Amino acid sequence: MNIFRTAMFASAAALVASAALAEYPERDIELLVGFSAGGGTDVMARTLEPFLEKYIGDGANVVIKNIPGASGQIAVTQVAEAEPDGYTIGTYNLPGVMARTLDREADYTADSFTYLANVVNDPNVIVTPQSSSITSMAQLIEEAEADPGAITMGISGLGGDDHFMFIALEDATATDFTLVPFGSSAPTRTAIMGGHVAAGILNVSEIAGFEESIRVLAIASEESSEYAPDVPTLKSEGIDVVNGSLRGFVAPEGLSEEVEQKLMDAFRQTFDDPEFQQAMRDTSNPTRLSLGEDFRMLNNAQLEFAKRVWETSPWK
Amino acid sequence: MAISVLIPFTFAFEPLVALGLMAGIYNGAMYGGAIPAVLLRIPGTPAAVATSFDGYPMAQQGRGGYALQVAVVSSSIGGIASALALMLLAPPLARLTLLFGPSEIFWIAVFAMTSVVFLLGGNPIKGLISAAFGIVVSLCGSDIITGYDRFTFGHLELLDGINIVVLLVGLYALPPVIDLLQKSSSPDASKASELNAGSFWANLPGMRRFAKTWARSSVIGILVGILPGAGGSMAAFLSYNEARRDSTNPKDWGKGEPEGVAAAETANNADTASALIPALTLGIPGTAVAAIMLGGLLVHGLQPGPMLFRENPDIVFGFMWQFLFGAMLLIFLGGSLATNNFARVLLLPRPLLGSIIIALMLIGVYSIHGRMFDVYLMLGFGLVGFAMDKLDYPLPPVVLGVILGAFAEQNLRLALRIGRGDWSILWTNTASVVLILLTGAVVVGPLVMRTIRKWRRTKNIQGE
Repeated sequence: MNIFRTAMFASAAALVASAALAEYPERDIELLVGFSAGGGTDVMARTLEPFLEKYIGDGANVVIKNIPGASGQIAVTQVAEAEPDGYTIGTYNLPGVMARTLDREADYTADSFTYLANVVNDPNVIVTPQSSSITSMAQLIEEAEADPGAITMGISGLGGDDHFMFIALEDATATDFTLVPFGSSAPTRTAIMGGHVAAGILNVSEIAGFEESIRVLAIASEESSEYAPDVPTLKSEGIDVVNGSLRGFVAPEGLSEEVEQKLMDAFRQTFDDPEFQQAMRDTSNPTRLSLGEDFRMLNNAQLEFAKRVWETSPWK
Repeated sequence: MAISVLIPFTFAFEPLVALGLMAGIYNGAMYGGAIPAVLLRIPGTPAAVATSFDGYPMAQQGRGGYALQVAVVSSSIGGIASALALMLLAPPLARLTLLFGPSEIFWIAVFAMTSVVFLLGGNPIKGLISAAFGIVVSLCGSDIITGYDRFTFGHLELLDGINIVVLLVGLYALPPVIDLLQKSSSPDASKASELNAGSFWANLPGMRRFAKTWARSSVIGILVGILPGAGGSMAAFLSYNEARRDSTNPKDWGKGEPEGVAAAETANNADTASALIPALTLGIPGTAVAAIMLGGLLVHGLQPGPMLFRENPDIVFGFMWQFLFGAMLLIFLGGSLATNNFARVLLLPRPLLGSIIIALMLIGVYSIHGRMFDVYLMLGFGLVGFAMDKLDYPLPPVVLGVILGAFAEQNLRLALRIGRGDWSILWTNTASVVLILLTGAVVVGPLVMRTIRKWRRTKNIQGE
């Protein structure tokens, strides 16, 4: 019995030792997606998954698990609380994930994560229906100044990127619009197409193919986008606002340097793969890579902006 | 439900194969919902609630097999009509969708609620209490307009509101299972022997008498399908109601009238393909399922919207043909193979049947979001449902309240936002006025008809 126990202990110890020495990954990596299958974040994750497997190498297997609810907060909380061993990573949406730390009780903070890579940067666009008489950004601002609040502006949700865009626009131009939150982007776009609101804020990926019914006045990015090549940036219109929806990947805080490096390398190689870029273009995902420390700084900048908005004009 | 579980499987296929699979699942699931609704009074989908009104009494009278045969033929006809509408009328119908803004959608919800008040039946006070309970449940979650959380009690799981399937399974499935287990342990032999309704093909010609109901319900289903946010359950309730109103023997409805099954099943399948009209042409999902299918298209690099028809006509029209063939196949597969076999479920010993249903309920509800919270919530609703059942409170108004309550409320508030607080926004456009008049007609119509009839009768008597 005693010998048996010793043998068992020894073999268990050997197993632990070999586990520590073994090359990551030696089992499935779970990728938690905070939205249902078929949504924008899910499509991004599923497009990226085969490339990530390929570049992690060693026969890595990434398993996607959809944990929808509370606009991604349930999944992101699970990532924050997971073992930091590299076998749990998750999708990460900005500014939403950080905004939730302000407007709700969240079981995580900006320090709960290892920031791997932000992959999608989907800038906001200011739009009007094609049937509208407002055809330029200058005209929109003019009309808003003439009769504050007369222009209704459709957005998808409070505390999201388009809401922040709305507040930044009002601040930068000292105008007043009437906020109409539809809850999600599809009904917002429908209401704009049908002329039920005078203007709206969408993301550039959401207007592809809708040129016949939606007019894009300006885009809130540094440079003009390949998805809307002829649209002026807000900056070129004299409005200093850059804003959009960001989607990336994080792991729990405390990842070992070795695993972190391996994952970041895999994300970089994925991003540089022309096939991946083509796949992202096909699924209307405007890409822009921010890796590791850059991603963390991007996150902090988003949090700072969200805090400023929350202090001056809380949305609930 | 089935479609969100199965859609990741389709991502691996060629686009057209994947879309065919989605179309098949969509059509099949809509009919599949009718099977437990008829046999056990447990609707598999919200859209099958109206099917259980007459389907379950039929099963109790030993005509369950026939009810399923009527359901499969009606489903198939609704599906075919809808696929044809999608193929022939997509562009003009899509433009109709754009006419509906928040104020018009609010009136649609009011119209639907008003029309189905007739469904309350029995004790109207109890019906209204049930409906009010449903509306309270629908308000649960984060309010989109102010951002405040309502009735969430600090639970993240409640922020998006309560999933209708969780409520439906608890409310509808648990009470009959408890009933089932309370009774004797052997299956009801007398009913079981009558189960076999005779050959499907022999019964088919006799169903021609439903032709009028099929036609009317198809039109209702198609129209409701293209309206944003309404969905199959509203189509089924409205068409059940219209069919009953037109019937020569409205008193028999709810007691096992096959025409009721036909009306509900035609309409809830007629909205499947038509819900894809705004989805494919405008990128607007008419129902939750259509939204999932839009995601499925996107995975295959197909951007839904006006350009889809121009850039990928082979895929779009291939998809439509698949819908049409899927609906036709339903008759052969669902009809001749499965229907009688499904009805045999009732031959199982009660404890076995009850345990299987409970296991399936738990798995089904868990797999919606992959969390136990929904399972506990479902069991809670099950107790509420059991109490309501024993106290004779009707369940359908709860479902209607959940589906239409918050829907009407949100759109009313959005409309008032757009009108900057001015209520006149609710009646200053043509579509709204038409809907208000329709709603008024539903309320006043029967009264006027009765008065006219009475007046004629007294005149006749005087004449004599």
